[in-house]
Amino acid sequence: MNKSNRIIQVLGVLFLIILVSSCKHKEDEYHSITDKIRAKSKNYHGVTISSEKYFDDIKMMEITEGEHTFLIPERKSQIKSFKCTECHTKPLHKLQTEGVQKAHWDIALKHADLNTMNCITCHNGENMDELKSLTGNQIDFNKSYKLCSQCHTKQFDDWKGGAHGKNIGGWAPPRAAMTCVNCHNPHKPHFETRWPARFNTQKIIDRK
Amino acid sequence: MRRLKVFKSLIIDSFDVISHGSRKYHIWMAFLTFVMLTGMYCYSIQLEEGLSVTGMSDRVSWGLYISNFTFLVGVAAAAVMLVMPTYVLKDIDFKQAVLIGEGLAVAALIMCLAFVVADMGGPSVLWHMIPGIGVFNFPNSMLTWDVLVLNGYLFLNITIPFYILFRHYQGKESKKSVYVPGAILSVFWAVGIHLVTAFLYQGLQARPFWNNALLGPRFLASAFAAGPALIILILAVIRSSTEFKVEDKTIKKIAMVVTIAAQINIIMLISELFKEFYAPTHHSESAYYLFFGLDGKTALLPWIWTAISLNVLATVILTFHKLRNNLKVLYFACAILFVAIWIEKGFGLIIPGFIPGPYGKIEEYTPSGIEIGVTLGIWALGALVFTILAKTAIGIETGKLRYKG
Amino acid sequence: MSDNNKKWYSLNLNSRQKQPKTSSSCGCGKTEGGCNSSQPVEELSAEDFLEAAVNASIGEEVKKDGFDQVFDVKMSRRNAFKQLTASLLIGAGAVSSCTSVISSDESKEKSQIDWEEQFKGNYKLMEDDEKKGTVERLVRSYQLRTGKTISLSSKNAEKDVLFGYAFNISKCQGYMDCVSACVEENNQDRDSQMQYIRIHEMKDGKGFNFNEADDNYYHEVPAEGHFYMGTQCFHCDNPPCVEVCPVQATWREEDGLVVVDYDWCVGCRYCMAACPYDGRRFNWSKPEVPEEEVNKDQHYLGNRMRKKGVVEKCTFCVQRSRSGKDPACVEACPTGARVFGNLLDPDSTIRWVLENKKVFRLKEDLGTEPKFWYYMD
Repeated sequence: MNKSNRIIQVLGVLFLIILVSSCKHKEDEYHSITDKIRAKSKNYHGVTISSEKYFDDIKMMEITEGEHTFLIPERKSQIKSFKCTECHTKPLHKLQTEGVQKAHWDIALKHADLNTMNCITCHNGENMDELKSLTGNQIDFNKSYKLCSQCHTKQFDDWKGGAHGKNIGGWAPPRAAMTCVNCHNPHKPHFETRWPARFNTQKIIDRK
Repeated sequence: MRRLKVFKSLIIDSFDVISHGSRKYHIWMAFLTFVMLTGMYCYSIQLEEGLSVTGMSDRVSWGLYISNFTFLVGVAAAAVMLVMPTYVLKDIDFKQAVLIGEGLAVAALIMCLAFVVADMGGPSVLWHMIPGIGVFNFPNSMLTWDVLVLNGYLFLNITIPFYILFRHYQGKESKKSVYVPGAILSVFWAVGIHLVTAFLYQGLQARPFWNNALLGPRFLASAFAAGPALIILILAVIRSSTEFKVEDKTIKKIAMVVTIAAQINIIMLISELFKEFYAPTHHSESAYYLFFGLDGKTALLPWIWTAISLNVLATVILTFHKLRNNLKVLYFACAILFVAIWIEKGFGLIIPGFIPGPYGKIEEYTPSGIEIGVTLGIWALGALVFTILAKTAIGIETGKLRYKG
Repeated sequence: MSDNNKKWYSLNLNSRQKQPKTSSSCGCGKTEGGCNSSQPVEELSAEDFLEAAVNASIGEEVKKDGFDQVFDVKMSRRNAFKQLTASLLIGAGAVSSCTSVISSDESKEKSQIDWEEQFKGNYKLMEDDEKKGTVERLVRSYQLRTGKTISLSSKNAEKDVLFGYAFNISKCQGYMDCVSACVEENNQDRDSQMQYIRIHEMKDGKGFNFNEADDNYYHEVPAEGHFYMGTQCFHCDNPPCVEVCPVQATWREEDGLVVVDYDWCVGCRYCMAACPYDGRRFNWSKPEVPEEEVNKDQHYLGNRMRKKGVVEKCTFCVQRSRSGKDPACVEACPTGARVFGNLLDPDSTIRWVLENKKVFRLKEDLGTEPKFWYYMD
C-alpha cells in the first residue's frame, strides 16, 4: 500500500505543477481597453498611411472651427448654376413681378415651420451669391455649415468632433469630413422613409 | 522477439475468435456493419456538400454530434468506477466487470473521437491539431486539453487491459507492480476527462446556460450513473450469451454505484432547477426554453420531460433495495436511466446553450436525416469495436484463447 | 499572365531536367485544350516517378526541389512534419501525377499549388516572405481557375494603430445599406445569404430589449415608433473566441483586428460557441459568389475567397482599413451612424466620440473589452 500511496503523492504534485504552470500570465496587460488606449497613445507618432489619395478628385478646403482643423469639400463648384447672379441680375422682388419663367419651382421648403423659416432666412434677396446669417451677416456658400450651426448647435459640436456626419476618404489622416449639405438637402433636411437596401434574408419562410 | 511472436499469434487467434460465433453473433455483426456502411455513406454526402446537410446553423452551431460526444465522454469516464475497487482496493467482485468496463471505455472513446471528427468542417486539415506538426493552442484552449486527456485515457485503457490479457493469454499472472500505477493514474485521468469536457462548456461566458459551477460535478455524477448502468446491461447480455461467469454479487455491487450516482445527480438537478426558476434572471432563458419553451418554440419539451421522468423513475426504483435486487427490474431501471441521461447530457445540454442566441433570437434545431445516419453509424462503430474487444477478452479470460507456441 | 520568370514555387515532382520553357504559351488565356495543343504532351515515366518519390521522402539529403523550398523554413517542426508526411504524400502525389499524364502544364501547376496550399503553415506564424509566397500562390491559383487576376494583399498591421468603432443609435434608420455594402465588399456566400451585420429593430420605450427586437424586418424604414441598432463582430480586446481556438487559427492582430486564417481553421466552431456577440459565421456549404460580383481587391485575412467548412467574420474590412480607408459599412452608411478610426490617435474622430459622448458597449460585464461603442446624439 505504501507504494501506491507514494504514486498518488507523486501524481498529485505533478497535477499541481501542471495547474500552476498553465495559469494565464497576463501581468503586463492593461486593466481595461481605456487604460490601454491611454497608455499606448501617450507616445503616438502618427501613421505612415494617408487617406489623401482617396479624395484626389474632390476639391477640398481646410477649415478651422474651435480646436478642430479639417477639410471639407468645396461647395460652389458643385452647385449647378452658381453664380446665382448669372440669373439673379435684379433684386428678387423685381424678378417676381415681371412674369418671367418661374425658377426653383421644384423646391418645397420642408425645414422647420413657415413661422420660423422661409427662403430669406438663409438667402439674401439682395445678394444671391452669398448666404445670410440671422443677424444679416454674409456667409459664403462654401461655409454653409455656419448657417446651419446657428440653430443646430449640438449637431455642430458633434460634427466638429466627428460624432455627426461622415468621413471622406477614410480614417487615416488628413481628416476630411462631409459638410452639412453633402448629406442633408437644406430645403428638406429630413431623411425619407424607404425600403431597406437589402433584407436580412430573402427566404420568406424565415420571416415573421 | 518472443513477445512479438506471441503478439502475432494473439492477433491471429483473436481474429479467429471474432470471426467465429453463433448465428446470433453473425447477425449482430452484419447488422452493425450495415449500419456503419449507411453511416459512412451519409458522411460521404456530408463531406461532399458540407455541413449544410445537417440541421445546424450559425445560431445553433453544435448539434447531435457534439451532444453524443459529451455523453460518451461520460460513459468512458465511468469505467473508473470499476477500475478503482478492482485494482486498488482489491475488491474481487469487480474483477470480471473491469475488463468489460475498460473495453467499453475504449469503444466510447473511439466514438468520441469519431463524433468530433464528424463535426469538423475541415477534416482534411485535422493535422493542424497535432502537437508538433500543427499549432496546438495549449493551455489556452480547453479543446486542446480535451484532445490530450481523451487520447491519454484511450492509451491507458488500451494498455492496461492489453497487458493483463497478454499475460493471461500466455497463461501467466499479470504483475501488480506493472499495472497498478497505471490503474491509479487512470482513476485520476477519468475524473480529468470528464471535468475537462465539462470545462469546455463551463468556460464560455457567452453561454450562461453552461457557464455555471455545477456543470462539472453534474457531469461526473451523471456519468457515473449512465456508464455503469450500461455496463450492467452489457454484463447481463454477456452472462446470458457466453460462458463468461459474472456473479449476481458483481452486478449488484455495480448497481449500488449506479444508485448513489443517480441520487447525487437528482440532487444536483434539483439544485439547478431551483436556481433557474426560483429567482429567474435573464440568464435563465435557456432553461425556460428547455423545460417550458419560449415564444411558442417547444421542440425540446417532450425530450427533456421524458428524460426527467425516466430519471426520477429509475432513481426511485434503484433506491429501494427490494426492487434493485430483482435483476429484471434492475435491468429495466438501468435501461431507462441510460436513455434519460443520454437525452439530458446530450442535446438537453448542448442545444439549449445556443437558444436563445446571444441577442435573444430563438432558432430551433432539428437534426437532419444525414446527421442521424452518421450518428447511428458511429454508434454502430462503437458497438462493433466493443464486441470485438469483449469477445477476445472473454476468450482469454475463460481460457479458450491460449498461446500454444 | 505573361510572366516568364515564375513567381510561384514549383514542386517539380516529375521532371527535374526537362522543365519546358513554354510558360508564355499559356498566356493565351484560352481553355486547356487550346494551350495543350501547342506543346508536347509530357508523360511521366516510371523512373521519373520513382526518383521523385525518393526525393520527396529523403528531400533533405538530395538537392533541393520545390517541395523543400516551400517547407524549408526556420521553424523546425515544419521540417519534422515534412519527414513524417513525405512518404504519405507520395501516394497522393502518385494519384495526382497519374491523372495529369495527359493534362496540360496548367493543371499540373494547379494541383501543385493545391498541394502546397494544403500543407502550408499558420499565417499567424509566417514570416513576411512566407506570407508573400502563399499570397502569390493564391493569386496564381485564381488566375488558373478563372482567368482573372485578383489583387491579394498581405499587408501587416501598421504601428501606432488600434482600430475602434462607434455606432450612433440615434442616427441609424435601418436602411441596411451597410449590410449590402458589406456583402459585396467581403465576397460573402450569396446562397446562404451570409451577413456579418445584423440590424435589430427595437421598439421605442422598451429600452435595448434584444428579445423583442426584430432582426428580420420586411417593411419600409424607419418604422414608426422604432429605433435601430446594428451588431457585428466587436473585435474584442480580450476575445474569448481567440482563447478557445484549438489551433490558433484566429487571433488578434497588433492593430486590434480579430482575424481568421481560413486555411488553418479546422471548422470545429468552438469560437462560435464562445462568442457572446454572434459575431462569427460558418460556411456550411461551399461559398458561391458570381464571378462578375467578386471583389478583386482582397486581403489574405479579409475578403479573399473562403472554402467550405471554415469560420469567417467581420474584419473591419482589413483590405480597406489597412490602406487608410473606412470599412465598407462606414462608407455606405447614408446617415453617418458609423464612426471608425484609430484609437491611439488623440486627434481622431473616434477618440472625440469616446471622450465627449456618453458611450457604452454591449455585455461589458463579460470582460471581453469590445472595441465597438454605442452612443446617442
